Amino acid sequence: MAVSVEYVTRETATNLWRNRLMTVAAVLTVAVSLSLVGVSLLLRQGVAQATTQWQNGVNVLVFLDAVPAAPAAPTAQQHTIYQQLVQLPYVKSCLYRDQAYDLGEAQRLLDPSAASVLNVASTPASWRCVLSQPSEAQAIARQFNGFPGVQEVQYPQKQIRTMETVVHVLDAVFLVLAVILLLSAAVLILNTIRLAIFARRREVSVMRLVGATNWFIRIPFMFEGIVQGLAGALVAVLVTVALHVVLDHFAGHNASSLLYRMRTPAGDVATTAILVGMIGVVIGAAGSAIGIRRFLES
Amino acid sequence: MIRFENVTKTYKAGTVALQDVSIDIDKGEFVFLVGPSGSGKTTFIRLLLREETPDQGRIWVAGREIAHLSPWRIPYLRRNIGCVFQDFRLLPNRTVFENVAFALEVIGRPRHVIEGQVPQVLDLVGLAGKRDSLPGELSGGEQQRVAVARAFVNRPLLLIADEPTGNLDPATSQGIMRLLDRINRTGTTVVIATHDAGIVDQMRRRVVELHRGELVRDQERGVYGYGT
Repeated sequence: MAVSVEYVTRETATNLWRNRLMTVAAVLTVAVSLSLVGVSLLLRQGVAQATTQWQNGVNVLVFLDAVPAAPAAPTAQQHTIYQQLVQLPYVKSCLYRDQAYDLGEAQRLLDPSAASVLNVASTPASWRCVLSQPSEAQAIARQFNGFPGVQEVQYPQKQIRTMETVVHVLDAVFLVLAVILLLSAAVLILNTIRLAIFARRREVSVMRLVGATNWFIRIPFMFEGIVQGLAGALVAVLVTVALHVVLDHFAGHNASSLLYRMRTPAGDVATTAILVGMIGVVIGAAGSAIGIRRFLES
Repeated sequence: MIRFENVTKTYKAGTVALQDVSIDIDKGEFVFLVGPSGSGKTTFIRLLLREETPDQGRIWVAGREIAHLSPWRIPYLRRNIGCVFQDFRLLPNRTVFENVAFALEVIGRPRHVIEGQVPQVLDLVGLAGKRDSLPGELSGGEQQRVAVARAFVNRPLLLIADEPTGNLDPATSQGIMRLLDRINRTGTTVVIATHDAGIVDQMRRRVVELHRGELVRDQERGVYGYGT
């Protein structure tokens, strides 16, 4: 079956132009829903970025005095600290992160100029503890700050926890909205395609009569759906990237600000963009495929 | 070319459209399928085009059993069958040339083949001078000639016409019949379903008569009605 590029382009363009209002509606719905998907993905990455240290339920970080040799396992003194920590009733468990790991994390979290002066010999190793009662983090800080071998005890600022909660709620809301909108986008595309086929039912019946294969008949219409999905996705990608740029701008270079800590690497934004584009294509193809099916039953 | 073997087709409402019909039509034959409305002529044609499947019996077209043809092969069956209808079924917003070219385009024939074959077949049907007209600008007879051109442009083995003269006056009908006769002389098998007694009597070709779904007559060099 030879379907010429010229034929498909011409037919797709004609169909899109004939149903331009429906096309605009479908494209906009795809754009809005995929923008929500894009923004929520970006938000998720930002939070993951800002809370790297606090992942897996870690409530307390006990930074240890740096050992110039940067050992991969805890020293005897550090092990004593560990035993004292786990003795406490509200400490569930503690995990050792060596100096090399902490250096890597600091480089990710800090402003590049600040991170450049760090080296593995001067970066502290840490015990990362999960508490059964997170409110006791302050007590640990009081007890272990100034303890021999301990450099500093950190526990998450309240704002990080609040942000996490807010973002989780937003995430859920965005996800539900996005799914609903994506479904309506698919239905809109389905409807546009149905209109397009209905407008050309004479042609379709002649095509079937003279022996055009179903795929030959289907391809221009499926292309139409895919173009709509992709166009919506492109708008959504633009919105997502614009938001990323604006946030980055406001984040400035203040390494301690929350926005700065949420900034996402460009690579993650690109991944998000590709994902959003693919969802657009899938929605368009699925919507049009369902729209065509009824007309090709023989 | 065509073989029906004990073919029965009943529609859902219980109407019997064809009842145990068996017939052979050889390559190159010219056959009239006659009978009043509701006698099963259209069902016969729909079965040939595999728009319907028989309830019982088997059907061969060009050596292939088509009652159990897998769906993806149906388009390839139809490429061997040219089809003409009472209502012409032309695309109103395409020119004569484009209408005929469309049949080749949608089965993936390359441009140079289309450019070569379409003028040839338009010449055959006598419409070479009207290639850029729209169907609406043509007379009924001319429109039917375009439809014949479209059905024949792919050089099918078999040409089927369902009431081709149903919308035409007798003089124009004769012209269409002469055209179909010419096509038949190129070796194409022609099957015409009709209740136009005039053309049947005039052509004196094989006549197959259906009545309430049953084959009641199969006559060489026949006429429309009994007697004569």
